[in-house]
Amino acid sequence: MSDVAYSTRRFTFAAGHRYWVERWPEAENRRVFGSLTVPHGHNYTLDVTVRGPIDETTGMVIDLSELKRIVNDAVVDRFDHADLNADPLFRDRVPTTENIAVVVWGLLAPKLGVDRLWQVRVWEDPTLFVDYGGA
Amino acid sequence: MEVTRVYHFSAAHQLQQPALSADANAALYGPCAGLHGHNYYVEVTVSGTPDPVTGMAVDLGAIDSGVQRALLAEVDHRRLEAVPALAGVVTTGEGLARAFWKVVAPVVAPAALARVTVVETAKNRFEYRGEDQ
Repeated sequence: MSDVAYSTRRFTFAAGHRYWVERWPEAENRRVFGSLTVPHGHNYTLDVTVRGPIDETTGMVIDLSELKRIVNDAVVDRFDHADLNADPLFRDRVPTTENIAVVVWGLLAPKLGVDRLWQVRVWEDPTLFVDYGGA
Repeated sequence: MEVTRVYHFSAAHQLQQPALSADANAALYGPCAGLHGHNYYVEVTVSGTPDPVTGMAVDLGAIDSGVQRALLAEVDHRRLEAVPALAGVVTTGEGLARAFWKVVAPVVAPAALARVTVVETAKNRFEYRGEDQ
């Protein structure tokens, strides 16, 4: 029996995007998404939460430097100063905050394991964030 | 998934339980018994699933305009005890979160309200999730 805790580390990346459905005519894109159809960008903040037993030797749920390395390799290096619409992961997926959370989960789950990865929280700006915990 | 929008308003309030005497209120609520105010933040969290085409789980524009009209316009730069929707509410953070839930739930529909969080100061945060014991 070990006591379980949740560890969260914060990351940031700046990325460009626009909301656009390729198979829709321009007028439909503009009607649904308005000004979001124009390419723009955000300073995104990503909070990655890992859940697990507290290791009684190290006192840690996860070595945060390991978490930092995994998230930087899989997510931050990929999306920082990138055009999200040009990433294959968003080829058939509008890069909304909701879909970014789903994609980030998909990138991290195989590296951290779904037994450890608890939640990703993606902040588009200080007024909007999306929480996703898989499924 | 859960989508959270953060809103802001400024308001005056004082903690007063009408059933108690002035002395009893002062003893119970301390400095909060007198009129004062806060720069409040309200976090409205709704749950949903992204639409496979638009990628949007909720209509944020509709939620913003609904919360603005039904809640923020009623409380911003007001004395909370004078707000009709807060009649009879002791305006603690918990009390506000519960009262705001009732105001916000119908206007975010068809999105399902998951929680309302009232951030009274940087040190005080209160959540109501529509639960009872």
